Amino acid sequence: MNQLLGQAWIPEGVDLFRFSPELTLVATIVLVLAVPMIMGRSARLVGGIVMLGIAAAGWLTWRVAAEVSGQGVAGMSPDPASAMLLVDNLSCFFKLILFFFAACVTGMWWMGSSASERNAPEFFVLLLGTALGMALMVGTLNMLLIVIAIELASLPSYAIVAFEKRDRAAAEVSLKYAIFGAISAAIMLYGISLLYGLYQSLSFVEVADGIATDLATGRNGVIIAVALLCFFCGIGFKISAVPFHFWCPDAFQGARIEVTTWLSVVSKAAGLILLMRLVHALAAAAGAEMISALAPLAWGIGILAMLTCTVGNLSAYMQTSVKRMLAYSSIAHAGYMLMVVAILAVPGSVGAASAVSALLVYISIYLFMNLGAFGVVALVYWHTGSDSINAFSGLIRRAPWLAIPMLCCLMSLVGLPPFAGFMGKFWILYALAEQGDAASWLYWTLFVVAVLNTLISLYYYMRVVVKMMLADDGQESVRAPAAGTIMVNLCGLLLIAMLIWAQPIKHFADRFSTNLYSAPVLTVDVGTIDQTTAHP
Amino acid sequence: MAAWILTITIFSPLGGALWLLLGESADAGRVRRAALVSSLVTSFLVLVALIMFYADSNAATDGSFCLEHKSAWLTETEDAVGTIDVSYHVGIDGISIWLLVLTGFLSPLAIWASFSGIKERAREYYIWMLVLQTGMLGVFCAMDLLLFYIFFEFTLVPLYFLIGVWGGKQRREAANKFFIYTLAGSVLTFAAVLYLAYFAYGKTGVFTLDIQALTELGRGGLIPYGIQWWLFAGFAAGFSIKVPLFPVHTWLPLAHTEAPTAGSVILAGVLLKLGTYGFTRLSLPILPDAAIAFAPFMATLAVIGVIYGALAAWVQDDVKKLVAYSSVSHLGFCMLGLFSLKMAGVTGAVLYMVNHGLSTGALFLLVGMIYERYHTRDINKIGGLAKPMPWLAFFLVFFTASSIGLPGLNGFVSEFMVLLGAATSSGTADGIKAGPLGFAYVVPAATGIVLGAVYMLWMCQRVLFGPLIEPPNTPDSSAGLTSDLTRREISILAPIAVVCLAIGVYPKPMIETMQPVIAKSVLQPLPDHSIEEGQEHFAEHPETERAMRRLGLETTTTDATSTNAASAHPRSTGRIEGLYAEGRLPG
Repeated sequence: MNQLLGQAWIPEGVDLFRFSPELTLVATIVLVLAVPMIMGRSARLVGGIVMLGIAAAGWLTWRVAAEVSGQGVAGMSPDPASAMLLVDNLSCFFKLILFFFAACVTGMWWMGSSASERNAPEFFVLLLGTALGMALMVGTLNMLLIVIAIELASLPSYAIVAFEKRDRAAAEVSLKYAIFGAISAAIMLYGISLLYGLYQSLSFVEVADGIATDLATGRNGVIIAVALLCFFCGIGFKISAVPFHFWCPDAFQGARIEVTTWLSVVSKAAGLILLMRLVHALAAAAGAEMISALAPLAWGIGILAMLTCTVGNLSAYMQTSVKRMLAYSSIAHAGYMLMVVAILAVPGSVGAASAVSALLVYISIYLFMNLGAFGVVALVYWHTGSDSINAFSGLIRRAPWLAIPMLCCLMSLVGLPPFAGFMGKFWILYALAEQGDAASWLYWTLFVVAVLNTLISLYYYMRVVVKMMLADDGQESVRAPAAGTIMVNLCGLLLIAMLIWAQPIKHFADRFSTNLYSAPVLTVDVGTIDQTTAHP
Repeated sequence: MAAWILTITIFSPLGGALWLLLGESADAGRVRRAALVSSLVTSFLVLVALIMFYADSNAATDGSFCLEHKSAWLTETEDAVGTIDVSYHVGIDGISIWLLVLTGFLSPLAIWASFSGIKERAREYYIWMLVLQTGMLGVFCAMDLLLFYIFFEFTLVPLYFLIGVWGGKQRREAANKFFIYTLAGSVLTFAAVLYLAYFAYGKTGVFTLDIQALTELGRGGLIPYGIQWWLFAGFAAGFSIKVPLFPVHTWLPLAHTEAPTAGSVILAGVLLKLGTYGFTRLSLPILPDAAIAFAPFMATLAVIGVIYGALAAWVQDDVKKLVAYSSVSHLGFCMLGLFSLKMAGVTGAVLYMVNHGLSTGALFLLVGMIYERYHTRDINKIGGLAKPMPWLAFFLVFFTASSIGLPGLNGFVSEFMVLLGAATSSGTADGIKAGPLGFAYVVPAATGIVLGAVYMLWMCQRVLFGPLIEPPNTPDSSAGLTSDLTRREISILAPIAVVCLAIGVYPKPMIETMQPVIAKSVLQPLPDHSIEEGQEHFAEHPETERAMRRLGLETTTTDATSTNAASAHPRSTGRIEGLYAEGRLPG
């Protein structure tokens, strides 16, 4: 730390290249603020700059992904032993997803809000700010940077949720969200400070080593447990795991629909990947002989996962706002994804590779299900001004090309074949079964809970389907912009295509789930660290 | 061609549905004609598949699969996640071909029968009908468990809408109940499917969902009984609801009553068979020990279903509900036959699936035709219809006779074989492991036949004979209906009647193709040492032998090729053939 603060330090060129997607985001933020000063605050202009910036960032990520595909790389630090940023397959995967999704959300904004938008630069500064935070979140094991990344992802979210300044409801949920976020950040900082106090290091890899040594010798058990619990509370807030989920439905309902779409997928995915990385680092440091010492961690995450998906699904039952219902559904889906993270808490577990890959497959599929579902909600909302379930009544007559993709997305969210959501569940269950046979009955419990939750979730998704297909109270037909209709229909088609071509999706995820950066061993190259531990 | 015919057949209705979806024709007449043409094309393809099946001498005589097509889907060879064998694998054998034919036969008739009844949202209706057809064809062709499951679930959504949109007054409730019941069972089945595949992974190093591979695993005795028990329970959860077996049948009467006519026909004719087919294809072969252990339990439920369904049908005033309850009763017979675990019983059960589809499907069609004219299904409000509607009376009596098992019509053959199988269940005369059933199950089930005759005939009498009773302002001829059946309606019913008669008189071709499959890949052959016991059983019970011979049951294999193969390897190429070749069983 002294080096970083005391002396001037200039990173290597290759480091900068690996960091270029994030730098592009920063540059885009600057442009979004600067260009309107010169050329006027045209919303379309700002949207165009954002699109270009995102495209550039996505292209650079692809280049970086090709460069690091064989190994995890750590860098951006004067002290190679405590790297600040990691660039590996996993972080590249997430950034690709992130930028693709950012482009989709910008597209939604373009269709729905750009015409009436007065504060486009501010909106995109906030949106890209959260994107930057998430991109950093998945690419670090340094506890200081974790805090910064989570805060960078959260603080603009509080503001962007309340972007309609005159909307009292939005202001209320923003305040709720901010208070929740502040408290969980405080708890997380407390946990991190305990860990720092114990092991005098900010690098979670070193901390994990210390924890492993302590657990082996039986020291500091309680304090480690408290510290990790606090630490994971902060991340639990990000992924809205039960019982840290109370902000989520309110924020999702109060925010603009494109913001809700944005938060529902990537903010959770970023939290999950961060959690996965931390758990993986812990397990890698502990080694295979420490399975029983880490069992409470596995159980903790497992129970959290079960609670999250069950509570999420049960709470979605009686919702009258489809947006709010989808918010609860996103909590439930975070629960499914959390299940596979529990697998990684077992050191040297057989199911680890399947688990990471299943999570990535699920995120890829979940992205399209949610994009399609929120897209239809948005298109209906822009026309009718309501996101209540009654606005969907008779949609099959009023707008068949919105009702059909909505049907596909909702059935896919349930996990019914022939939609890709089924494949996502299949791989999660596959990973759980693989682990269940090898490790403890926790995973079979998770397996059964996941299966039963599918059934619970059917009911509330069906309520919307019933409204769309079976009810009709004679509302006028919905006129939707052609681009939006095409986009949601593409999502629906993709969901079928992703079931038929399940193999390429799986290979895509496999490619990005191998060679995870884990405990580093230094080589002579400054900044480049070999991948030595077995990939999960 | 041979490799692609099934794929083309399965997805041809989906193509038709897309055609309807994208064609913007609002004219209901053109839409329904297009749907009919599409389903007729599918029927033609099914016929081609049938001919190709017969052309394949192996498949038609020794029970192997044919027209197979396998292409990698989730297949992985030794990468990070291990070896996975989950593929798009379709094929047919002597059992599934008949259910495929049944589907291909009933679907166009059901679509044709909807011409006068469906007036609203016609395009959508026919789209769902065609989508449903793809799901059904797929289930019967799937040779991969995941594919099977996907098609199995794929039938849910279309039928949900068929009931929910075009059904009767309580359609929402019926549709929801149907959906939730079925999905509740099938998610448990899915858990069992995944566990089974995972178990195979542990045993063979391949995470496989290939039905043949799993069957080998099960028949090879590689799955411990404790695991079989749980897997059987998981499979049974999904399949029993679909059948529906006695305590979980409550969704069926409601769904049947509320569904539009074509929906009921397809539901009774084909969809209920997905459950029994699942038992035949998966539970019995893959989990043989658990099947024996569960058989008394399942058979008891089946017999309760037979009696209960019959008694419930007796007291119905709604004709459609009466037929629905008769389905519960009949499917009980089917399950009884399956769990006799005997050649005769299982053959009878498979035949029963087809026969029930034909006769109950036709009865639902008739009820629909009455309803379209009189707008009521209440037995008390209609009567004496034989006079104004002689054609209707003829067909109603005909299909009633077929349904209650009048000798000479199709129902009789299968009913008799089921009871025979249950009665001889404990014997080993056919070279099959002894089953646990016996006369204790036959007697109450046979009572069910008597009850069946009572309620069906009583219904016929009240609807058709006696003084003419018609609700006011009927018959309604607004949809171009005449007072008796129209030519369209007669041409829908006549083919079914012909097939019913044909199966009743000469079921042998079907039985001949089914039995090798059942011997080869459904039932468990005797362990070697009990062959002698089987001979003793024949000696002690000559009547069994005679009865079986009368039904053509002993003609499992008579052609030269398989006899040669069997004499070369009397133990390894299937014990049944071996026994016949050695002359130990009468040939």
